[in-house]
Amino acid sequence: MSTDVMIYASDLSKNFGSFRAVDKINFEVNRGEIVGFLGPNGAGKSTTMRILTCFIAPSSGTARINGHDVFEHPLAVRENLGYLPQRAPLYLEMSVYEYLKFAADLRNLDESTFKKRAKAVVEVAGLAQVLGKEIRQLSHGYRQRVGLAQALIKDPRILILDEPTSDLDPNEKAEFLDYLKQLAKDRTVLLSTHNLKEVETACARAIIVSRGRVVADGSLDEIRGKSGRVRYVVSVQESTDSPYRGTGALPREPEVADLLRSIKGATRVNELPTDDRAHAFELTSERDSDLRADIFRAIADKGWVLLELHRDTQTLEDVFRHLTIGEERRNRQVGGKAEPAAVAQDDEDDEDDDDDDEDEG
Amino acid sequence: MSDKKKEEEEKKKKLAAAAEEDDDDEDDTSDDDDSSDDDEEAASDPKPPVKAASKASKKDEEEDDEEEEEEEDEKPAAAAKAPAPSRGAPPQVRASFAKNLWTITKREFAGYFNSALAYIVISASMVLFGLYFFFYQGGIWQIDRASLGRMFDFVPAWICFLTIPLFTMRAMSEEKRMGTIELLITLPVRDSEVILGKYLGALGVLVVQIALLTFYPLVMFKFPWTMGAFDWGPFWSSIFGLFLMGSAGIAIGMLFSGMTDSQIVSYFATAATLLILFFVGSLVQFVKGWPGEVISFFSFQTRYEPFARGLIDSRAVVYFLSVTVLCLLESFRQLEGRRWR
Ligand SMILES: Nc1ncnc2c1ncn2[C@@H]1O[C@H](COP(=O)(O)OP(=O)(O)O)[C@@H](O)[C@H]1O
Ligand SMILES: [Mg+2]
Repeated sequence: MSTDVMIYASDLSKNFGSFRAVDKINFEVNRGEIVGFLGPNGAGKSTTMRILTCFIAPSSGTARINGHDVFEHPLAVRENLGYLPQRAPLYLEMSVYEYLKFAADLRNLDESTFKKRAKAVVEVAGLAQVLGKEIRQLSHGYRQRVGLAQALIKDPRILILDEPTSDLDPNEKAEFLDYLKQLAKDRTVLLSTHNLKEVETACARAIIVSRGRVVADGSLDEIRGKSGRVRYVVSVQESTDSPYRGTGALPREPEVADLLRSIKGATRVNELPTDDRAHAFELTSERDSDLRADIFRAIADKGWVLLELHRDTQTLEDVFRHLTIGEERRNRQVGGKAEPAAVAQDDEDDEDDDDDDEDEG
Repeated sequence: MSDKKKEEEEKKKKLAAAAEEDDDDEDDTSDDDDSSDDDEEAASDPKPPVKAASKASKKDEEEDDEEEEEEEDEKPAAAAKAPAPSRGAPPQVRASFAKNLWTITKREFAGYFNSALAYIVISASMVLFGLYFFFYQGGIWQIDRASLGRMFDFVPAWICFLTIPLFTMRAMSEEKRMGTIELLITLPVRDSEVILGKYLGALGVLVVQIALLTFYPLVMFKFPWTMGAFDWGPFWSSIFGLFLMGSAGIAIGMLFSGMTDSQIVSYFATAATLLILFFVGSLVQFVKGWPGEVISFFSFQTRYEPFARGLIDSRAVVYFLSVTVLCLLESFRQLEGRRWR
């Protein structure tokens, strides 16, 4: 194993009773990477992070942080780690300063280093105003910042942050993400979130988990290309409310649909909801093709009026939904047989497995 | 399937081995000394039963004991400053056992006084003890001897029923409920440091409560009143007995606190257990033969009794210390248990 792999998870599984929260997760994070750890609620992100931080043990599989096994050397693992749990649980009766001091003491910072670090961290987390306040009096956003400050106090080489920005306002989020980017020269960050914009701002790479499994892992571009499709939106004038400049007759909806279906390369045609001034359709095609010219030609030949035409590569959001929706029905019982509802998903699961293999290779 | 099982078994074995190695493996040598400190104290404490022959010697013992208690806190700080000898590890390593223990204990102790609870419990107890002492069945005035013996009938039960469970109910439960345990034990601390630190924190509050009891004889027999020559011997031995019983009680409370995330449940479980352990002693007179012996073996009341009369019973010392150690070990195991469920 190369020394540059800072976080390593191999076949990590965790069962709660008969419920499989994490199901054979595999991934690696290298030095200097900021990786977004994405997934819908209940996907197993927090559970995975808890395993990586030695809070709970995996039911099977191995995990290493900076080369130390979480099972065999939990102390060595935690020394290198800054961890912010999901709810930023803090001792409410302590003041912010006391709390930071407490965390620093347990991380074995000496007095002068602590002073220096505390200054830096307080600035980053914007805590200067509340340093002397009891944590109980702070709003959620501030509590989260205290949690962050605690994770950063030792300037750890590896940061594991569970939804660090969920309670921050947009400005604070942006600031924090900037800081992370700056930080990540020789640090390693695993950042869980379900905010895709954030991932796009801060991370070059994402791991998407769903129902306890990794369904995508790669650079954002790779992931965006994952579904392998592009999407077109086409709308054609339908009524004469505004001056009609078409040469052909006003089109009816099935005519447009048929025309679009007949275009070579269009794989799926759906009508989009609109008012009655236009027919709008969405069609998809393979990633490498560009049908815009064909679409324009076909419509112009009919003498219809093309009001709108554009082409998107799929957004991260689309891919995310594509990969995680429908997964809901998959059975997560340990050793359970696929339920009838889950059978329909089997194909998709296989597909996911293939994807995983590709990523590793 | 069978492969998986095998793997798991192997892992468990490894874990057990790792747990055993834990200390030699990752600690620097100074840690080992410190961690065994408590045990040594425990082992050297039990002395052959000494009659309260000379007040002076017993007093010394008592004071020694309290000093030891305090030293426990100071020593770690000193030890932490010494550069930790490391075996090939990078020089900047985790804090020593003692330093972490001190950090956690300090926070825990301060935590009690940051909430009103400790103040309320301690002051209410003081008032109650005072009232009981002065007025119950005619109070001290009915007794010729200048003694607080009567008070020590009442104090241990009260401490078992109220003080200890109230002090320990939050120890682990609160952390679990709030989730702070996740932050605490993902810091580079050992589970044993967490358990011992929390234990010592709670014990510290109890020591404050017990120490305040000396206030009564001082007021009665030194200043402002001087109601005769006070017999300090039985008083100090009672205090010592209370301390021992309290140590065991707090360890029991910690154990229950670790089992639930509800403070109320933790309170009642601890209070009930301690009360039973205490009052089961009253049954001894009705139960003949070995069951009676078993009862008196386990009863806190029977164990505590000699202390109230000014005796230091080494078997009781051993008993209370064993209960403490066993419960702490179990708490430790419980916390570690989260790692292979
Ligand atoms: N301690 C636990 N006991 C039982 N089930 C749990 C426990 N922790 C998490 N789960 C379950 O495991 C699944 C994954 O949870 P989690 O990792 O918190 O998801 P995420 O962080 O991705 O939202 C959830 O369905 C949750 O209900
Ligand atoms: Mg979560």
